[in-house]
Amino acid sequence: MRWQFALAGLMCTVLAACGGSTRGRHLSFSGSALGEEGSLVRAQLARFAAQHPDVDVSLRITPDAANQRHQLYVQWLNAHVPEPDVLQLDIVWTAEFAAAGWIRPFPDTALDTTDFFPAAIEADRWRGVLYAVPWFVDAGLLYWRTDLFDNAPSSIDALRDDAVRARRERGLASGLVWSGARYEGLVTVFMEYLTAYGGRVIDDHGAIVVDAPEAVRALTFMRDSLGEQGFVPVSALSWQEEQVRFAFQNGQSAFMRNWPYAWGPLQDQRRSRVANRIRVAPMPPAPGGRPSAALGGAQLAINRYTREGDLAASLVEFLTAPAQMLERARVASQLPARRSLYDSPDLARALPMPIADIRRALDATVARPVTPVYSEMSEILQVHLHRALTSQEEPSTALHDAAQEIRVLLDRSGLRGAAS
Amino acid sequence: MIARDRQAADTRLARLFVAPVVLVVGATAIVPIASTVWAALHQRDLRLPWLGQPFVGFANFIEAAGDRRFLEAVLHTATFAAITVPIELGLGLAVALVMHRVRRGRAIVRAAALLPWAIPTVVAALVWRLVFDNTTAMFGFDWFSSSRAAWVPIAAADVWKTTPFVAVLLLAGLQTIEPEIYESARLDGASALRQLFTITVPLLAPAIVVAAAFRTLDALRLFDLPYVMTGGGPGTATEPLSLYAFVALMERLRFGYGSALSIAVFALTFVVALAFVRGLGRASHIEAL
Amino acid sequence: MSRTLAAILIALLLGPIAWMLAASVLPENQIFSGAPVQGLLHASFEHYRALFDERGFLLPIRNSLIVAGLTTIIALPCATLCAYALARLPMRGKGVFLALLLAVSMFPQISVVAPLFLVLRATGLIDTYPGLVLPYVTFTMPLAVWLLTGFFRQLPRDLEDAAMVDGASRLRVIRDVVLPVAAPGLASTAILMFLYCWNEFLFALSFTFGPEHQTVPVAIALFRGRYQIAWGEVLAGAAVATLPVVIVVLAFQRRIVAGLTSGAMKG
Repeated sequence: MRWQFALAGLMCTVLAACGGSTRGRHLSFSGSALGEEGSLVRAQLARFAAQHPDVDVSLRITPDAANQRHQLYVQWLNAHVPEPDVLQLDIVWTAEFAAAGWIRPFPDTALDTTDFFPAAIEADRWRGVLYAVPWFVDAGLLYWRTDLFDNAPSSIDALRDDAVRARRERGLASGLVWSGARYEGLVTVFMEYLTAYGGRVIDDHGAIVVDAPEAVRALTFMRDSLGEQGFVPVSALSWQEEQVRFAFQNGQSAFMRNWPYAWGPLQDQRRSRVANRIRVAPMPPAPGGRPSAALGGAQLAINRYTREGDLAASLVEFLTAPAQMLERARVASQLPARRSLYDSPDLARALPMPIADIRRALDATVARPVTPVYSEMSEILQVHLHRALTSQEEPSTALHDAAQEIRVLLDRSGLRGAAS
Repeated sequence: MIARDRQAADTRLARLFVAPVVLVVGATAIVPIASTVWAALHQRDLRLPWLGQPFVGFANFIEAAGDRRFLEAVLHTATFAAITVPIELGLGLAVALVMHRVRRGRAIVRAAALLPWAIPTVVAALVWRLVFDNTTAMFGFDWFSSSRAAWVPIAAADVWKTTPFVAVLLLAGLQTIEPEIYESARLDGASALRQLFTITVPLLAPAIVVAAAFRTLDALRLFDLPYVMTGGGPGTATEPLSLYAFVALMERLRFGYGSALSIAVFALTFVVALAFVRGLGRASHIEAL
Repeated sequence: MSRTLAAILIALLLGPIAWMLAASVLPENQIFSGAPVQGLLHASFEHYRALFDERGFLLPIRNSLIVAGLTTIIALPCATLCAYALARLPMRGKGVFLALLLAVSMFPQISVVAPLFLVLRATGLIDTYPGLVLPYVTFTMPLAVWLLTGFFRQLPRDLEDAAMVDGASRLRVIRDVVLPVAAPGLASTAILMFLYCWNEFLFALSFTFGPEHQTVPVAIALFRGRYQIAWGEVLAGAAVATLPVVIVVLAFQRRIVAGLTSGAMKG
C-alpha cells in the first residue's frame, strides 16, 4: 500500500513542479514525511484532495533536523515565496514567525480552540492572536523500568534514591539518563527540573525569574546528580535523544528522560533489552513544585504570502480534525493535540503506551517561554546551563548571568513585559 | 614588428580567456556579496520588524569587537588553523609521496587515498563522532564533555578528511619533477631524507604554498564539522567564527549582525591570504606578475 | 620511503572507512554499543536494502553525478584558459585579479546563501540543475584558477616557444603542446572540483526542493528524523556514495598516466 501513496505523492509533486500550467488550484504542504509518517501524510493529503475536486495538493519534504528546517523556512519566507502554503512549525517557532510577519492569523471565529490543550494554544498565540494550530504534542517523559520498581517515583528525592539504589544493587552503568548536550533538548530537561522545584523562567508580570532560589536549587540538583557520586553519567552532557535512548534500550540505566517517540523502539523485542518492562510518568515534584513534562510538538501555520489562504485554512482544519489525529496516533504513535480524544477508547487502543500514564503527563505539561526571541533566549540558557553542569560556573552565577543577558535581550528587542 | 603584433594578439587573447571567469564569477557573486555588505551596515532583525532597518554605520562591527563570544570564536578559529594546517601539509606530503612512488596497484592505492575526501563532510563528522564515542565506551574518557579535548575529534576528522586534498595538490607537482635530479643526487650519495629536504620540498614549494594557503583559508572558515559533531559545545568551547555567524543569521535572524560577522570572517581570511601571497612570495608563483 | 610508513598512512586513511563499512552492516543498536566485533556476528545488508527500497537512493546519486559532472565540464575549460592567460600572456592587474578571485571564494557560504537564493529565485533557477551548477562553478573557479596558474608557470616555456618559432598560433600551441603536458594538473583540478561538488551541502539543501534534484549530502541529511538518526542507513549511504567517486577517480588515474607517457615530457 505504501508505494501507492508514495507514487501519488510523487505525482503530485511532479505536477506541482510543472507549475504554472495548473488546471485547478494548488496547495503545497511542508513537513515531516519520513517512513510511516510520510505515507500517512500523503494519504491524508490525497483524501483532502479527493474532497476538493479542483484542487491538487503536493508535499514538500523538509529535513526533520530542527535547525535545518528552520533555516529553510527562514530563507523561503524571507524571500516571500508563496509556497509551501501550509507549514509545519516547531512549538517554539510560532511567536518568532508571527512577529516576523511570515504567517497568517486564524480568526477566532474560524476555529474552535477549546478542544486543544490550552498550553499548546497559548504557545500559538502572539499578542493575543492565534497564528497556528496544534497538530500533535510531545511531552518529556520519565521512563521507568517495571522490573526494577513497582511505582514511578513520587518525588525528586525518591527518584534520586531509586536511581542510586538501582545502580548500586544491579550494577547498572547509570541511574538516570537525559540529553545534556548544549542544545534545545537541555533546556527542555531543565524546564522539568525547574518546574519540579516550583521555579519559572518568566513570571506572570513578564519579569525574568530564572535566577530565583528555586531555579538555583533545581540546577544544583542537576549538577550534583552527575558523575561517579551521582547517578547520571557525565557523558550525558554530550548526548542527544538517540544516545540517551540507546543507553536505556541496552539496559544500562534504570531511568530515562526522553520523548514519546522512544516508546516504539524500546518495545521492539528483537533490539531492546527492556521491551515490555517499561512505563512512563511525568517528572515528579520536589517540595514546593509540581509534576512536570516539557511541552513540545508540531503546529500547522499558513504562509502569509500564500495565494490560497482559504484553501490552506481548510487544509489545516482537515489535518487537525479528530479523525486525522486519531489516524496519526494509530499509524505514527503521535499524541493528538485535542483533549477530548483522550476520553475515547479508540485512542487508548491506538496508542501503544498506557493512556492513563500519558494523560497524567499531558496534564503536567510546562511550556517554554513564548516570545519571538525564544531561540536566542534558549541559547543564552543553554550556554550557561551547560557551563554550570560542566562545573565551569556555579549554578547561582550561571543563572544570574543568564537572567541578566535575557533581560538585556528583551530590552534591546523592545519586548520587555511582552513575553509570557 | 612581428613581436609587437604578437604582443597585441596575446593581450587580446588574454582578455578573451579571462572573460568567462569574470562573467560567471562576477555575475553570481556580486549580488550576494553586495547584499552582505549592505546588511552589515544596517540593523536588521527579522524577528523584530517593528525596529525597522535603520542604517547604523559600523555599529554592528563595534558590537562584535566587544562581544566576548566573537573574540573567543576568533581565537578558536585561529588556533585550529595554526595546529591543523601544518599537520595536514606534512601528512599530505607523505601521502603524495606514497601515491607517487607506489608501483603495484598504483591506481587502487591512489583511489583509496582519496576516499576520506569523498565522504560527505556530514557523514565524516558522524563517523568520527561514533569512533570517539566508542573510545569513550572503551576507555572511559569523554572527549565531548571537555572544552579542550572536544577539539581533538574535530581536528582528527578535519585532518583525515583534507589530507587527500593536500596530497592531490602536491602529487601533480611531484609528477613534474624530473626523475634525473633524484638519480644524480642518489649517485652523489644523498640519503632519501636528504633528497626529500634538498630536492623535493624546494621544487614543490609553489604547490606547498598553494596547499597551505587554501587549507588555511578553509580552516579559518571551518563550519560543517563542529556543527554536526558538537554543535559548538560544550558551552561555546568548540564554536568557530563561521558557526557563530550562522547562529546569528539563521537562528537569531539578526541579518545585520550576522552579516557583519560574516564580513569579519572574510576580512580575517583575506588578510591571511594576502600574507600568503606577499610574505611567502619567494616560493609563490605570483612574484613575476 | 619505506613500505611500512606507506602502509601506516594508508591504514590511517582507510581505518575509519573500514570501520564505517563494518558498522553499516551492523544492526542499529550495536553501532553505539562499543563492541562492534560481537555485532558482526549479526551482520546483514538490511540497511543497504532499505537504502534503495525505501529511500530511493539512486536518485540523489544520479543528481550528484550530474551536478558534479556538469560543474567540472564547464568550469575546467574556463579555469584552464584563464590560468594560461595569467601564466603566459601579457595582461595588466594580474595580481589584483587573482586577489579578487580569491576574495570571492572566501566569503562564508552562510552569508551568501540567503541573497543567492533570492537571485536564483528571480531567475527561475531554484530546484534545477543550473541552479546548483552556477554557484558551484562560481565557487570552485578561484581554487582551480590558482592551482592551474601555478601549474602552468612551472612548466618550462621552451616547448611552447619552440612551437611558436615554428609558426604555430597560440591556440594551436595550447592544444597540441601545453594541454598534454598539463594533464596531471588538469586531472588533479578536475578531481578537486568534482569532490567539492560531491561534498557540498549548504547550497544543495537551500536551492533544491525535492528528490528530483537533491544531491547525496542532502539525501543523507534527510535520513534524520526529529530525534532519530537512521545511523545504519547513513553509513550505508555513505559507503554507496563513495563508489561513483572511486570509479571517477580511477578513470582520471589513467589520464594522468597517459599524459605522462604521451611523450611530451621527453624534451
